Amino acid sequence: MDGIIFSIEEFAINDGPGIRTTVFLKGCPLRCAWCHNPEGWRSEPEKMLKKGREELCGYRISAVDLSKRLSRDRDLFRESGGGVTFTGGEPLQQAPFLCEVMDDLEGIHKAVETSGYAPEEAFRSVLERADCTLFDIKLVDSALHRQYTGVGNEPILRNLKTLIASGKPFVARIPLIPGVNDTRENMEATASLLQGAEGLQRVELLRYNRVTGAKYPMVGLTYRPPFDENQAPVVHDVFTGRGMKLLVL
Amino acid sequence: MIQRIENLRAFIRAGKHFGFRHTPEDYGLDRLATHFAEAGLPPVQRSSRMLRALLNAEMPIILEGEKIVATRTISRIPSVFTEEEWARIREKHTLHERGTVSNISADYEGILRDGLGKRKAQVLERAKDPDLNEDQRQFLSAAVESIEAVQDFIQKYRDCVRSAGLEDIARVLSNIHSGGAATLWEALQLLRMVHFALWESDCYHNTLGRFDQYIYPYYRADKAAGRVTDEEAFDLIEEFFLTCNKDSDLYVGMQQGDNGQSIVLAGRNEKGEYLFNEVSKMCLKASYELNLIDPKINLRCDAHTPLDVFVQGAHLTKRGLGFPQYDNDDVVIPGLEKLGYSPEDARNYVVAACWEFIIPKNGMEIVNIDALSFAGVVSNALEHLGEYDSYEAFYAYVDRCIKAECDRITQAHNNLYIVPAPFMSMLMGGTIEKAQDISLGGNSNNYGVHGTGLSTAADSLEVIKKYYFEEKTLSLEELMDAIHHNFKGHEALQEHLRNDAPKMGLDLEEPDSIGAALLNSFAEGLRGKRNERGGIWRAGTGTAMYYIFHAKDLPATPDGRFAGEVIPANFTPSMFLRQKGPVSVMRSFSKQKLEDTINGGPLTIELDESIFRNEESVEKLAMLIRSYIRLGGHQLQLNTLNRETLLDAKAHPELHRDLIVRVWGWSGYFVELDECYQDHIIERIKYKI
Repeated sequence: MDGIIFSIEEFAINDGPGIRTTVFLKGCPLRCAWCHNPEGWRSEPEKMLKKGREELCGYRISAVDLSKRLSRDRDLFRESGGGVTFTGGEPLQQAPFLCEVMDDLEGIHKAVETSGYAPEEAFRSVLERADCTLFDIKLVDSALHRQYTGVGNEPILRNLKTLIASGKPFVARIPLIPGVNDTRENMEATASLLQGAEGLQRVELLRYNRVTGAKYPMVGLTYRPPFDENQAPVVHDVFTGRGMKLLVL
Repeated sequence: MIQRIENLRAFIRAGKHFGFRHTPEDYGLDRLATHFAEAGLPPVQRSSRMLRALLNAEMPIILEGEKIVATRTISRIPSVFTEEEWARIREKHTLHERGTVSNISADYEGILRDGLGKRKAQVLERAKDPDLNEDQRQFLSAAVESIEAVQDFIQKYRDCVRSAGLEDIARVLSNIHSGGAATLWEALQLLRMVHFALWESDCYHNTLGRFDQYIYPYYRADKAAGRVTDEEAFDLIEEFFLTCNKDSDLYVGMQQGDNGQSIVLAGRNEKGEYLFNEVSKMCLKASYELNLIDPKINLRCDAHTPLDVFVQGAHLTKRGLGFPQYDNDDVVIPGLEKLGYSPEDARNYVVAACWEFIIPKNGMEIVNIDALSFAGVVSNALEHLGEYDSYEAFYAYVDRCIKAECDRITQAHNNLYIVPAPFMSMLMGGTIEKAQDISLGGNSNNYGVHGTGLSTAADSLEVIKKYYFEEKTLSLEELMDAIHHNFKGHEALQEHLRNDAPKMGLDLEEPDSIGAALLNSFAEGLRGKRNERGGIWRAGTGTAMYYIFHAKDLPATPDGRFAGEVIPANFTPSMFLRQKGPVSVMRSFSKQKLEDTINGGPLTIELDESIFRNEESVEKLAMLIRSYIRLGGHQLQLNTLNRETLLDAKAHPELHRDLIVRVWGWSGYFVELDECYQDHIIERIKYKI
């Protein structure tokens, strides 16, 4: 079957172990106020203005063609302990396509970066095929989650439980947004969710960066962050004390 | 870095020792050439006489805390010929660059082992031969004078340090006055003196060769005898590196910093052992700590080099110095053997000032005597496109044009004159046996030819093949009108060609195989030809500064490039490549038969220093480098860039197509980012310490 992707990045250095190629799947149910990939929101290909030149962002590709393209670097992935990472957008929004691609990548390490916002069925189907999951945890408080991302976090927390229960390896990724989720309270709550998770390899804190807004006008949107983006986010390390490995990026 | 070295570094970086310098005029050395002319002195004796005069005039300077001495105090090396004489030489001869010996690699291993005294004895012994002719006798007597001049210079320094009460340095200088080095300290001090004397002889691009290999025995002996700790050894090596930066502003090149002080680490020996030793490791560390441009480090590696070595290299890459450069033994050694070098010489290869492969002691090559402009050849051939009805027939014509250009180049370099260099001759093989100056030839005398605009040419041919011959969407009239009018009135076509046409660097079968064909034509065009010195001609993938020269007069090209617009440097993708990524670029640029075009010239990839914010990326980069080596790439150069470069990239994006930046959770190519992104990143880097 076909899917819609908007980018393939080689040598992605922050998306898992080894040398990796990251695939960006188009379409996302969330509208995070700090999203730096607004061209990943809509599910269909759209026009994007790049340096005064109108280009199509997103294209249809068959699972066979995509997996063929990714398999080209099979040796390189194996030698370096790397592989392929699927992100978006929200890759689980195209779960059947994603599963088909993953099934075609036999023997290649596969990671999926997800917001966790997906039907349980879809989540399980992808989890089953992934060697590693990069699971975003933005806010533990559901009301705040709804306020800043447009959706409640119940499906996310449910899928996180599924992930932890599976015992499969995962990385928890927390974007650090100044004044939104960089509170001790939210970090403690996040740490509590992760406490005791056997598959947890480490926690990654990704500092908010002010370049976030730059792509919005390119897809006809306006970036209006409901927080002070000039303020540096606070890093609360409540994780190492609980025996979790922490990486701040 | 210990305090002593730190202080020395600060002193040297501040140029405080420049105050000791004098001009040749201060000593009347500028008038020497006139005296030589009046006395009718033969050139080789002028060279030794000049060296003696200069070293006599040098003032011994001991910087605070120094253990390895010798600081240049004469600001310029006068020529041994007068202006009138030069004019006469130019009438009869061609000159390569400045006309003096350059860009070769001396036999440091031999001189450190034998010492100056033994070399002098060998020359004197050779001079007893009654069958020597006048030229040979003159050469040998000049050689003796040169050696004695250097010995006297060492003695002058010894007397100076002794009177300053620096007895340990005096002892080192006494020992190396005639003898070979017995300790690491002596080896580095003798190396300093010899290297110093090469610059003083008006030789330039004086490379440093396999430093870790010829220094290692002294380190090992010291360690075994308990004479030195690893810390002390490291400090000495670091200090030696520092000495390469003392006088380097006086070393001539195309640009400041283009001085040829390259060293080449590791490599594999005939037993298959990989020679990355403690000294190699210290070199990478010293370079990282010193954060200076010299010496420029190369790392020889191959498919089986341990990952840890690549990691140490990548760690230095992170420093942003633009080195180490990685050279692939798996490709270079067989390539050199195919050119006729002995297996022993091929295994011993080093690099010249930039990336040209040369052999220490035995190679008197001129590795950059000319350059073939691939883009220029294709541009000229284009005028006859209408005469051909298939791409194959057209390429056969291009192939003939490349070969005709090779014929022209190989016939253009005759009556070469090089100023004699008797001291350099003492560091090169075969000169004493032949009683002949190195300027007249060494054990091998090959010429290297660069190849510029490869990707511009391959991408242009791909446009012709795909759109003109195959798809027939581009007519001859439209293409030629666009080219002849610099795309005026053909803006949409130009944009399409620049942005959408297939290019080398995307790992596509087609333009990559055209690139391979062009290189094959080049190699075949030079194969079997001899130069006037009996050497062969070597084809290469480097450009040096020719990518600027050749671009200037180049008309608009079918890849959408404007007339006069820049072409890429070295073995790199087009300026217009909409990047797929470093892995695709590496695949595209390793498919060719690179061992047949082994004069040198690296794939160059630029990295932004922000990718190193994640410590894990050093190891990932190491694996990427290893991948290029395993794919069969011959040479790789990586630049880690900073804000100044970014600003330059913003002003001249066409020169920085490969610059990678970390934006937030993803890496992208800087020049592909919108201005707002670019400004943000520049802004961000401004506040970084």
